[in-house]
Amino acid sequence: MGKGPRDVRMSLQTLKVLDAFLSEPTDELSGADVQKRSGVASGTLYPILLRLESAGWFVSRWEAVDPSSVGRPRRRLYRLTPTGLTRASEVFASFGRGVPA
Amino acid sequence: MNGSNVIDTGPRGWGHEIAQHLIQHAAHSAPPPLAERLEEEWLADLAARRGQVSRLLFGLGCCWATNLIAREHRALNVSAATAATGSTTMTTQVQPSLTFLPRRTTVLVAIVGLHVAIIYAFATGLAHRLIEPLQGPMIADVVRETRTLPTPPPPPTVDLYRPPIDLGPEPLIDTGVDRGPDPIHTDVPPIVETLPPQRPVPPPVKRVSGGPGKGFPATDDYYPAASIRLGEQGSSAIQVCVDSSGKLTSEPQVMKSSGSSRLDEGALRLAKAGSGHYRATTENGTPVSSCFGYLITFTLK
Repeated sequence: MGKGPRDVRMSLQTLKVLDAFLSEPTDELSGADVQKRSGVASGTLYPILLRLESAGWFVSRWEAVDPSSVGRPRRRLYRLTPTGLTRASEVFASFGRGVPA
Repeated sequence: MNGSNVIDTGPRGWGHEIAQHLIQHAAHSAPPPLAERLEEEWLADLAARRGQVSRLLFGLGCCWATNLIAREHRALNVSAATAATGSTTMTTQVQPSLTFLPRRTTVLVAIVGLHVAIIYAFATGLAHRLIEPLQGPMIADVVRETRTLPTPPPPPTVDLYRPPIDLGPEPLIDTGVDRGPDPIHTDVPPIVETLPPQRPVPPPVKRVSGGPGKGFPATDDYYPAASIRLGEQGSSAIQVCVDSSGKLTSEPQVMKSSGSSRLDEGALRLAKAGSGHYRATTENGTPVSSCFGYLITFTLK
């Protein structure tokens, strides 16, 4: 398991990314999906995803498709872990919920 | 939501091509364990974007993301079990710092050490001993300057030739007077200048200057006692005027001091005491009154 929740630096962009997952916590989202939901630019988004994954808040896997049959590369899908869900909820609870769009 | 409904391959264009190159370049610059994963992930997400500009901005963003990821990867050693299929969890392990001191501290220590070394070198003369062999013996090569004076330009040649003035033939003036032979005939005897007879030159006077004569007091008797104690020595030039009998006719005078007033005073006393014992000046053997000078020397024995 990764670091505790207090080890993750909470920036506005990080909160936006977490908020994109918290609307439907069971969803598996690619980077493109998260960018659509959160509006965070790609230069900031992917380091946040890797940081939260290394901290144990997310898990990721490759999409189970055949690239040749679908005609595109397989996507990397991220999902909140139960620990990540709990800790993200705690963070938003401490902020009083509500992340500026 | 799976998110597959947002995938849109779309027509590829210039934006897609440039973004693809940017992503491949960025992924190769990423930490090796993540390079392959990031390239595949970003290319898949690139295909989901619409619009050439949007794709280009996405590629540029991936380049920026690589910098951030590489920076964080230096602190965290990310070992990702990137299996071809199945769920994976990234584990983190804090990599201990390989450097004992921060870079800033290392640079500061190096600068301080360099200053200390320079001050030590100057204080101990190490630099002098080091520089001296490097410089080698100093050889002065005197090069005599050859100064070439500019040759003055030749003076302008002035044509001083004056053409002769043609006055024509000399006119002959006929006065009508026949002069004839010169009627005046003077027979003047030659002038003989008669000089007055020169006076006879008197024979040269043989003059013998006077001085201290027989019975003149001894110099040591008038040596000032103080001068003897102080070790003073010297000569005083004294002028005296004496008559034909050798007596003083006026007070003796110091013509040139010995440098000591005591010695000069002693010399004057001696000169006075010697009155009547002076040898008078003689002219052709005859004593005459005169003034003369002589030296009185006081010498310690």
